[in-house]
Amino acid sequence: MDNIAGTKSSLTWAVHISVALLVCLWLFPTVGLFVSSFRTADQISASGWWKSLFPSEQNLVLRTKAPGEQVQEGELFVIEGNLFADNDENTAATISVWGTSSRAIADYTAGDEADMGDDGRITVQPNGDYRLVNDVEFSGRRGERVFVTAETPPAFTLDNYQQVLLSGNSTDSMAKAFFNTLTVTIPATIIPIVVAAFAAYALAWMDFPGRALLIACVVGLLVVPLQLALIPLLRLHLGIGIGKGYLGVWLAHTGFGLPLAIYLLRNYMVGLPRDIIENAKVDGATDFQIFTKIILPLSFPALASFAIFQFLWTWNDLLVAKVFLIDATGETTVMTNQIVELLGTRGGNWEILATAAFVSIAVPLVVFFAMQRYLVRGLLAGSVK
Amino acid sequence: MKKTLFAGVGGLALSAGMATAGGHLMFNPGEGEFNWASFEDFAANNDYSGQQITVFGPWLGPDQEAVEKVLAYFAAATGADVRYTGSDSFEQQIMVDAEAGSAPNVAVFPQPGLAADLAARGFLTPLGEDTASWMAANYAAGQSWVDLGTYKDESGNSQFFGFAYKADVKSLVWYVPENFEDAGYEVPETMEELKALTDQMVADGETPWCIGLGSGGATGWPATDWVEDLLLRTQPPAVYDGWVTNEIPFTDPRIVAAIDEFGYFARNDDYVAGGAGAVASTDFRDSPKGLFSSPPQCYMHRQASFIPAFFPEGTEVGLDADFFYFPAYAEKDLGSPVLGAGTLWAITNDAPVAHGLIDFMQTPIAHELWMAQEGGGFLTPYTGANADVYVTDVRRALGEVLTNATTFRFDGSDLMPGGVGAGSFWTGMVDYAGGKPAADVAAEIQSSWDSLK
Repeated sequence: MDNIAGTKSSLTWAVHISVALLVCLWLFPTVGLFVSSFRTADQISASGWWKSLFPSEQNLVLRTKAPGEQVQEGELFVIEGNLFADNDENTAATISVWGTSSRAIADYTAGDEADMGDDGRITVQPNGDYRLVNDVEFSGRRGERVFVTAETPPAFTLDNYQQVLLSGNSTDSMAKAFFNTLTVTIPATIIPIVVAAFAAYALAWMDFPGRALLIACVVGLLVVPLQLALIPLLRLHLGIGIGKGYLGVWLAHTGFGLPLAIYLLRNYMVGLPRDIIENAKVDGATDFQIFTKIILPLSFPALASFAIFQFLWTWNDLLVAKVFLIDATGETTVMTNQIVELLGTRGGNWEILATAAFVSIAVPLVVFFAMQRYLVRGLLAGSVK
Repeated sequence: MKKTLFAGVGGLALSAGMATAGGHLMFNPGEGEFNWASFEDFAANNDYSGQQITVFGPWLGPDQEAVEKVLAYFAAATGADVRYTGSDSFEQQIMVDAEAGSAPNVAVFPQPGLAADLAARGFLTPLGEDTASWMAANYAAGQSWVDLGTYKDESGNSQFFGFAYKADVKSLVWYVPENFEDAGYEVPETMEELKALTDQMVADGETPWCIGLGSGGATGWPATDWVEDLLLRTQPPAVYDGWVTNEIPFTDPRIVAAIDEFGYFARNDDYVAGGAGAVASTDFRDSPKGLFSSPPQCYMHRQASFIPAFFPEGTEVGLDADFFYFPAYAEKDLGSPVLGAGTLWAITNDAPVAHGLIDFMQTPIAHELWMAQEGGGFLTPYTGANADVYVTDVRRALGEVLTNATTFRFDGSDLMPGGVGAGSFWTGMVDYAGGKPAADVAAEIQSSWDSLK
């Protein structure tokens, strides 16, 4: 044990580097998702999020105004405007070269005039202003295509957040899903903690035959995947008349959460000083009094750390909610399900997904930062003596 | 006294229900070129007021809005309370619900294979001979639609379970007309011309095709559509039918030749944007965007009728982008085969109102109401619906491909057992695109099919 101090000092740099690496590993995708949530679908598919932070050279296909907007100036028919403004593009871009055919997109430099034969003559300025003139009247439904190569400054949009949070029908369902999620999460966090605290005290400090076997069973249940129980449990719920609904999902979360909760809390409570409990017993305290007056206040870090776990797990849960809660009427949808639905039938709406992810992260972040000082203490106190 | 009171309350509730439902109807009954007579007939003969019907399907987003608008008319006509829910994991969820006994009244199956599974385990309710014969008589290529919805029940008898409503056409090539114009290319009428055009583009220094097989867990499916389409263009339909039931094995030279036909396009670095190596890794949703880039990364993209949903924002189909029929060989004389797919509505939890909904789908108005909407890309093989109500000319043209097909065949991978059609066939095609010989790929798929038997 003497050499631990020495090893520690020589390896701190390794610890620091691996911590830094882990933090980067976790932060990198999160930052990417965050940046993507401010970009449009077309921007996301056109370039990586890291490129969006710097000005970039882009090839764009833009259209002049439709022939319906032409004006006559003497002999000439003229269409004037700004390519970027007409196409709802970033107006701060600067055109370097441009063309009028998909096969020759860089034939002219900004300021040049291009002759398109029967379709007239067009001049494009660096800022996107254009002037299209012809001797005969323009016809057709659509404007001319102009292919430009432009230096575009970074552009971000709040439209995604607006769509997720404020737009018409998604607002109602998002707000409803938010409260549904709270309705699921809060009882599904409190019930297992209450049950597990009692059980953990009994397993830690009360002597009864078969206690060790019971603890072994609880530890054994930790490794049983919950997917195994989904269909039998749902059948049971339907059979005894609970059906799909909040009660069913609370019970399911409680059941799936209990093994870990009991294990965690029992380990913590076993570590509490025996003297205190024996003193209390000598003074005539009952088990219930010891539990409420001594054990519970002392176990607060462990209770808090498990509460964080259970809260995050139920908040992010999709599987259990889909099986036990969301019925065919669709009245009881939760946030995670709502986010998946925002992806669309064929899963193409990445910008909405990124945005919705950040919206749903908000509450867990608040919970985590409010209680994080208990997290490590509760975990370590249970495992290391 | 009590009875009249109840009747009065019932009537009030009904009229209130009608009033709220009426507020959501997008077209007022009686307006436009719809078959309103069929709506009123149906409303007069069906009354399910106060009954709830749950419908569960794969559609989300705009598709969901569209189907809800159609179902609102069923609610208005019958007084039933219709609830639609969508899920992206429909396939898993319907299994869980059916197993546990909490199934919705009506489920919308995107794949016949899954419906057949549930039918064989006794979870579906037969729709009856009348419905089947109605479909055979009123749908273009009606019998093939009936076959698609006919499965063996628990005791092994074939019964009609799945009502096809909403179809996709797959034999389409999308292109940008103005790019064709700039380069002086013509839309090909035959497969020979298509291959000549492909070579012409390469000779001009351009890249003809955008092909992307990526689709998350379903990566590879776009290639199965290619192979099916090419099989229909190189062999008679009987070969195709034998192939999807495995009477003709994957290792048959005719099937291997069809896979190699796909390789003709997809395994040539000059033909595909990004080179042959990019085919398997490009996402199918991103792949059509190459048509619209500057300069164009490619000129043609073969994909089903739903793909305009993934064109860049603001693309107007019919002007900015258009499609042509994926042509057949002139020399082979196999007619104009069309490959398609459709969703099947089946009753998973029997109730009179569920049969009422299936009856509603046999009215022209049920089809026309969705034809007139942008969302969902609805097409119908029902010849009794008025094609004038299609929301765009392009949609009408797509509908005509469906109603004019001389040979119509369903997506074969959907008809094969799940382990092949949604498993080894997909992964096999990814291997093939990566350079594995067609014969080896075919042998692997066949052995996976054998192991399922």
